[in-house]
Order: sequence, then structure tokens, then C-alpha cells
Amino acid sequence: MNYRITSPKTSRKLGAAVFSVFAVVNLIALPATVFAATPHHIHIALNNASEAVRWYEEHMACEATAGRNDAVLCGTTEIAFIEGSTQGGSQGTGVDHISFSVVDLTAKMTELENVGVRGSGVRLQRFDDGALVRDIPGLFKIAFIFDPWGTKIELVEDTDTLGFHHIHLNSVDPVATLQWYGEVLGGTPAALKGTLNGLQFDDVWILVSAYTDGRPGLTRGRAIDHIGFEVADLDQAAEQMSQQQVQFRQQPMVPENARSSARQAFIQGPDGVTIALVEPGWAGVVEQVIVADADLATELYIPPKTPWGEPDLQGIWTGDAAHGIPMQRPRDVAGSETLTTQEAAARRERGTLNSIWGYDREWRDTTLGYVKSAPSTQVAMVVDPPDGRLPATTAEYRQAAANRPPRLPPERAEGPEDLGTFVRCITRGPVGMMMPGIYNNGLQIVQSPGNVAIQKEMIHETRIISTEPREGLGENLKQWLGDSHGHWEGDTLVVEVRNLNGRTSYQGSSENMQLTQRFTRTGPNSLQYQFIVEDPSVWAQPWTGMFTFVRDDSQYELVEYACHEGNYGMTNTLSAARAIDAREAEAAANDR
Amino acid sequence: MVTRFKQAAIASALGLVAVLLAASSALAQSTDTYSAPRAWDGNPDINGVWQAIGTAHWDLQDHQASAGLPELGALGAVPPGQGIVVGNEIPYQAWALEQKQANWDNRQGEDPEAKCYLPGVPRATYLPYPFQILQGTNKIMIVYGYAEANRTIHMDKENPESAPLDTWMGRSHGIWEGDTLVVDAQGFNGQAWFDRAGNFASSALKVTERYTPIGPDAMLYEATLEDPTVFTRPWQISMPLYRRLEANAQVIEYKCVEFSEEILYGHLRKQTSE
Repeated sequence: MNYRITSPKTSRKLGAAVFSVFAVVNLIALPATVFAATPHHIHIALNNASEAVRWYEEHMACEATAGRNDAVLCGTTEIAFIEGSTQGGSQGTGVDHISFSVVDLTAKMTELENVGVRGSGVRLQRFDDGALVRDIPGLFKIAFIFDPWGTKIELVEDTDTLGFHHIHLNSVDPVATLQWYGEVLGGTPAALKGTLNGLQFDDVWILVSAYTDGRPGLTRGRAIDHIGFEVADLDQAAEQMSQQQVQFRQQPMVPENARSSARQAFIQGPDGVTIALVEPGWAGVVEQVIVADADLATELYIPPKTPWGEPDLQGIWTGDAAHGIPMQRPRDVAGSETLTTQEAAARRERGTLNSIWGYDREWRDTTLGYVKSAPSTQVAMVVDPPDGRLPATTAEYRQAAANRPPRLPPERAEGPEDLGTFVRCITRGPVGMMMPGIYNNGLQIVQSPGNVAIQKEMIHETRIISTEPREGLGENLKQWLGDSHGHWEGDTLVVEVRNLNGRTSYQGSSENMQLTQRFTRTGPNSLQYQFIVEDPSVWAQPWTGMFTFVRDDSQYELVEYACHEGNYGMTNTLSAARAIDAREAEAAANDR
Repeated sequence: MVTRFKQAAIASALGLVAVLLAASSALAQSTDTYSAPRAWDGNPDINGVWQAIGTAHWDLQDHQASAGLPELGALGAVPPGQGIVVGNEIPYQAWALEQKQANWDNRQGEDPEAKCYLPGVPRATYLPYPFQILQGTNKIMIVYGYAEANRTIHMDKENPESAPLDTWMGRSHGIWEGDTLVVDAQGFNGQAWFDRAGNFASSALKVTERYTPIGPDAMLYEATLEDPTVFTRPWQISMPLYRRLEANAQVIEYKCVEFSEEILYGHLRKQTSE
């Protein structure tokens, strides 16, 4: 399916810009009068619209919308899809999940469990007690699943309302949020089953949960991109909303490539929720384009604190999004600040294929039903110098490099020492250990007062960074990953790495390398990581690299990467080298 | 307490009740009299750098001094030590006792520690190196210096989830029972040993650990080991852990891989003799 990007808004910070195209459009096709707006659509990001149509038909009992290949009707609710890639699932954003109601939830979950997670399967979320279904006293039975594109779906057994059931929001102030939706969009305040306060738009509920981990993520660019409401008279609605100080992201207009002459507008709801308003007759847009606003995301974000008052970096993060970003800016993209999402997706795919064909998919995506976050559109990791290129190397370094004997290729390795420290499962080094690869990009952070533990999944390495001044290791005690001295600069963890043993090199770095690392939460689900390398014997000036880890607590858990324990590669490589030796010796003997 | 009652019930059937009850009452005495400083959540603060003292890493049971590699002289000898097994008996099934003896005989090439493999649980605890406990918001992480071993103890799960796959270090879930951190560890791959003497279990092993502060700088570490495929009954180890009091105490990275390569890959080295 074709799609394109129109004028993606880029962030001033290279690499922080995100933009995505996708969709679920949830159309509640009811006659509407102003104020009572009716819920109209929800936008979910995904990468295969026709597959999504099939998925929602098969698993959520929706029907393909006539005349469109990118939408389904679920009861009175339409969900439509546009291809593209997401910046992550819906969980933790202002629109945490959507909900469907079924007659027999236990039977439904058994059915879905049998579908499995492979391909465009179904990912099930278990409760803490291991059960798939939980009975909420006074309400009904509930269960949670994810579609293959990261949309969180709550399944409920509410026989009063079958089919599409509710939209569940996250809010720092649920009471105010419900009031806002009521005043701006209408809806009837009511209590679901007499116990749970919400707003009722005919048979669709809006429910709100309190969000306590800072602020919810912006919906734009995430699996559920936005929700939409239909209003009978858009001009009148816009006029009234303007009086209510509602912020318009886009004034009413007929978008390019719209399927009808109905107009659409976007407003900013509470908690980072983007809301579309559409006129009757709205039928979506061919080749729809959605642009996330990274500046807005950063501006709205307040990083949470630990219970003891330090910036909270804890959680499971992954470097998957950054896999494929080259260290240096390629010459052919000298002018652009970011890639398009298509270019980014193609780049990551190339990176995967260039490694080991098919490894990626088999190792995680299919096997465990894991949905990777969208590839970063960042052009290069080097952000300083501003041209994205490493500084010139020194004459001293170039001479030393020219005089260095070439390394033995693996098939010539005479013993384990001739192979790299990564191959030997020792380490990728203090810079390399953080770098993303095709798999096992997990990063777990656990904090205690005055300490931050950073655990990388690949090889499995953990550094404990003290954020309080400490004596540290003596100068004769060097370590592969050095001795980490941290402190907080505002909400940024700054780490000076000392006492490196200098036995690994990154991009030519020497044993004199000074490494500084900076970790900053730039959003609920983004952790910006900068590394500053100073090594005057190699580079005339310091340089800085940067990429962003994406939070992924909902589906990722670091596995034990028992690298050395399962290092069959070493045995295979060395035995192959000895076989080559033997073959050559035999050939030489025959020649005599 | 549940675990302890269960222990007592199982032990009485085997006529060992006296031994276990004696151990239990000794523990109760020491733990009842001390109130630990509190962490942010009101539970005991066990953050810090800890280490076991003793010779449990050589042999969990009472052991006399014995010879090691002759090339190393007395440096390679096994130092004598008192065991940490409650009752000193590891209740192996007959086949498993033979396996343990075979492990002992082949320990120089077979001990996973010699190969710098991950130590498993509880062996990680009493290796002769410091480890650090970090009490996070909903996880407790234990970082060991040896072989970059690491455990995440999930404190945010009501009930243990089954491990998604078997691993060296297993999957750990914790709860606080009063001032005791109780950790349920399962999902092991069955390849780890308990010590350099070849004591072992299978992938059916379940370890229930109890970390109880008994003073500002000491914790009681108790672990109940259950594995019906290897042992005839559950058994218990008990030992103190000590806080490292040096002002600059920290976990030192001990990447031992390169020191294991000769025994693992030495036979694949290029022979240079012409």
C-alpha cells in the first residue's frame, strides 16, 4: 500500500523528531447534533492495513467497510487503518486502550490463546496471578490483549453492551478530564454498572484511569493515534470550542485526498490526546498522513521522580528503534535532518539483512509475538560535530594505525585471543555495550537511593552508577567497563566513566579515551542517551553520539543472555580454523 | 512461617524434626531482637554491598582440608570449613549421590565456575566476592561481581509467573514477610552446581530464600532447596551475610571468561610445534 509524508515537522534536536502514518478510525455513525458530538474515530498505527482489516474481522467480529480496504465496522463503530509505523503501543498514552464486549469471555480467551502469537496473532496479557481473565466484583469479567500492532484491547463480558464497548483514557486528573469531555464533546455522565464513573455516548463509554507515572504519552504517533468525534455542524462546534479555550491543532478543512467533501479538524484534548472532529459523511483519507510533534511532546513532559525524590529512569527500555542508525551521517543525506519513515524502515531492514538473514524475525518478532518500536528516523548517531561526521583523526593515530599488524581473520585464528571480545562474550566495551543490534536490545534500569544500575541484555552486563561523590577505584584497578561516577544535572543522569582498561576500542578510540554519558527522559517512553568521547591522541576534538531508548515494560523482559555459556561459535570457529590448517597441510604434503 | 512449618512437617516424617526445630528457634531469637532501618516503602533497608564469609563456595557441607592441583602447591588446596547445610546432610537420591561423586571426581574440568559460567542460585550468594543489592521501586536487583551475574527480583507480581524459559539464574519473585525478604526462585536450567564439591540439582529446583536483617551490618540468609527429582526431601542452608564496611566498598567487575578459555578451547589452539 502506498503512503507518503507531507512536510514532516522536524524537531530542532536531530533525531528527536517522530512522525508516523497509520490509523484506526473508529466511526460511530450516529446522527449527531452539536454538543452531543458522537465518537467518530480512533487512529491506530500499524504496518499492514489489509492484514489489520482481516485481524479485526476475525478476532473482534468487525466487518470490512464497504468500498474501503482500510476500515472495519464494529457494531456501530468503524475502525480504519493506514499503513505506516508506530512509535510504540497505545498503553501509557492518553488513550490507553479500547474495549470490546463479548458474551463468554473465558471461551473467547481460550479461542484467542489457540490463535497464538505467531504472525499476525494475538498477544495475551496475564494478570499477576497468571490468569487470563479476572472477575471485577460489581462490574464484569475483564481480560487484556494486544493486536499485532501494539493496540491494547480490553475484552469485557458485559452483556448489556456487546461489541465495541469503551475507550479507556489515562489522565493525571480523571475528574477534570471527564468534565472536559462532557463540556466540550457532550456525552452523558453515568456510572457503568452503577460503580464506575464515565461518560456515555449512546452505547459507547469513555472511561478514565488515573495516571501516576508523570504524564501519559502523547497519542499522536502511537498505536492509537487519535480518537474522533462526529458533529452535525462543525462550524458551530468550532465556534463553541474556541469560546471554551479549546486548542485547535488544525482548523476545519477538507484534507487532500479525502474520500468525501466532509471536513475534518483536530483539537488537543487533556493528557496529550489528539481528537479529530469530522462532519457527517466523513469517509477517511486515501494515503493519510499523520505527523507527530516531538517539540510538543518534550514541552509537555515532566519526568517522574522515585519515591525518594530522584529522577526516575527505572523500567525496561529497548534500543530497537535505534538499530540501523549509522554512526556517521552518510554523504548522500547531507542536507536532511531526518529520514522519512519509509527510509527508516528500509534502513533497519537492510541492517538486519546485512547481519544474518531472517535472524531478527525468528528471534523475537514472531517467536515471542514481540512488536518492535518503529525505527528511528535519526540520520546519524554523531550529533557533534554538527555535520554528523567524526572529527578528523590525528597524524599520530593514523601513523599508529598504518603500522599496526592486520588482525587475523576468524578462519586464521590460532586461539581464542585472536577473536574479538564480543565474539568471545567478554564485552562490547564501554561504548559498544550500549549500541543497538538486531536483537536483545533490552536495557533494564533499577535505582536505589544514590545508585542507578544499568543492565544491558546483550552479553549481559550491569554497571552500578553511584550518583553520590565517591572515592572510586584506585588508578591501578582498571575494568573493562570502567568505574562509573554519576551525578544529576537537573533530570539528566551524567556519568563519567573512569578506570577503563583500554582493551576495547570504539571507532579507533585508544586507552586514553574519556567517556561521558548522559541519560535524559524526554517522554514517558523515551530515554535519550548521549555519549561524549574525548580522546586527543585519536581525534583532534571531542565528539558526541546520541540515540533514544524506547520504554517497553508492557511486552519486553530481558532474557538471560548466557553468551559465554552457549558460545558454540567459538568452538565452531576454532575447529574450522584447525580443519583449514589440516587441509592446507595435507595439500602442501601432496605438492611435495 | 509457612515454609518453616512445611519444613517441619516434612522433616518429622523422616525423624529429623529435632534438628530443624533447633535451627528455627535459633533464627527466631536473633531476628526478633533487631529492627532494621527502613527503606522508602517501610520495609527493611537492605541496600548495599554484601558478602558471605566462609568456605561454602568450596563445599556446602563440613569438609576437611584436601589437596588441589599439585602445580599450585598449597595455594590450590581446599581449605577446611564448617558446613552451612542445616543438619549437614544433603538428602540425595541414590543415583544423585553417585552423580555428585562423579562431579567431584571431574570437578577440574566440569565445575561451571571453572568455565566462568553463571553461578545459579544459591551459589551466587556465597561465592567469595561482594554483591550489591538495589531496592528499586518495584524490582530488587542483585548485582554480583562474578561473571556479570545478575538477578531481578520481581516485587510487583502477586504470584510467581512461570519462567518463560529455563535459565542459569532462574526467575525470582519476592515478597516481604515482616522484616524478611522471601524470594521464590525457579525456572533454572539445571546446569549450575552449588559449590566446587559438585553438589547439584536439576531444572526442577525450587529455591526459597529468606533474607533477614539481624544487625546493622549482617543479614541471615536461609534457603530451602526442593527438587523431588534429585533429593528425597527439601533441605535448608543457613548462613549470615555481612555488609562490606569499607568506605569505598563496591562491586568489582570480575569478567572471568578469558581465564576459562584454555580449558574450553585449548584443544583447538593452533599447534605451533613443527
